[in-house]
Amino acid sequence: MNRRKFLGVSVLAVAAIPATLSALSSIDFRATKPDAWKAKTVEDAIKALYGDIKPEESGVTVKAPKVASNGGAVPVTIKSDIDAKTVAVFQNMDPESAVAVFNVPENGIVDYFLKMKLKATDANGGNGVITAIAEGKDGKFYKGTVALQVAKGGCEG
Amino acid sequence: MGNMKIKAKVKGDVVGVKVLAKHDMLTYDQAKAKGKEANFITHITAKVGDKIVYDVSTSQFWSKNPQFKFKFKKDGFKDGDKIAITWTDLSGKTVTEDKKIKGL
Repeated sequence: MNRRKFLGVSVLAVAAIPATLSALSSIDFRATKPDAWKAKTVEDAIKALYGDIKPEESGVTVKAPKVASNGGAVPVTIKSDIDAKTVAVFQNMDPESAVAVFNVPENGIVDYFLKMKLKATDANGGNGVITAIAEGKDGKFYKGTVALQVAKGGCEG
Repeated sequence: MGNMKIKAKVKGDVVGVKVLAKHDMLTYDQAKAKGKEANFITHITAKVGDKIVYDVSTSQFWSKNPQFKFKFKKDGFKDGDKIAITWTDLSGKTVTEDKKIKGL
């Protein structure tokens, strides 16, 4: 059993699910790649997660409203037709960049929706960007981005 | 029960799942301001039987009471199958709830 699998199994065990080894084990990227979650820029987070990659600027679509009025819950959709192993989502508005790292299961489809908490963009000149990277099973990386403005921050709380 | 609202429905060859989880998702900054401990969901896994259909490591920047959707191919699943969704948070708490998939 390698380290990745072992960590996956231990997550399942914690989750009190019978730890049967199915075709795909759960991967806890917070445990396997701790630095990716502490990185304060998208570049550093990508480097900590995937290493020094040069993603193709295609193959991944990220959708978000151009102007989000409520930074507490910004709807974001990530889609890709790439046969992906993992998909990671980052943004440049909050203190740290990482938002999610998906481990794409065998019969999974890369069509993910989630709501994010984002800080108002006036702090960085209105240049809010959400970046998604897909790690293809072909060993290549693919990237998609969307620009947005966030009127009211969601992290002030 | 009552920690999650789950909807799972077949459309064509695909199962679409919508989830609303109840969680404060308190970031480190918010926790500091409130004098509390940060706590947020750090992992979500969905399974049908013993097969994983969704697996994501998450950060503090998912919204309060996070809402999320995902899709997977329905191949190999049958009428009566349930989707079980489990989240784990920073404090180590784990919640699992399931729902029958409609239209299989």
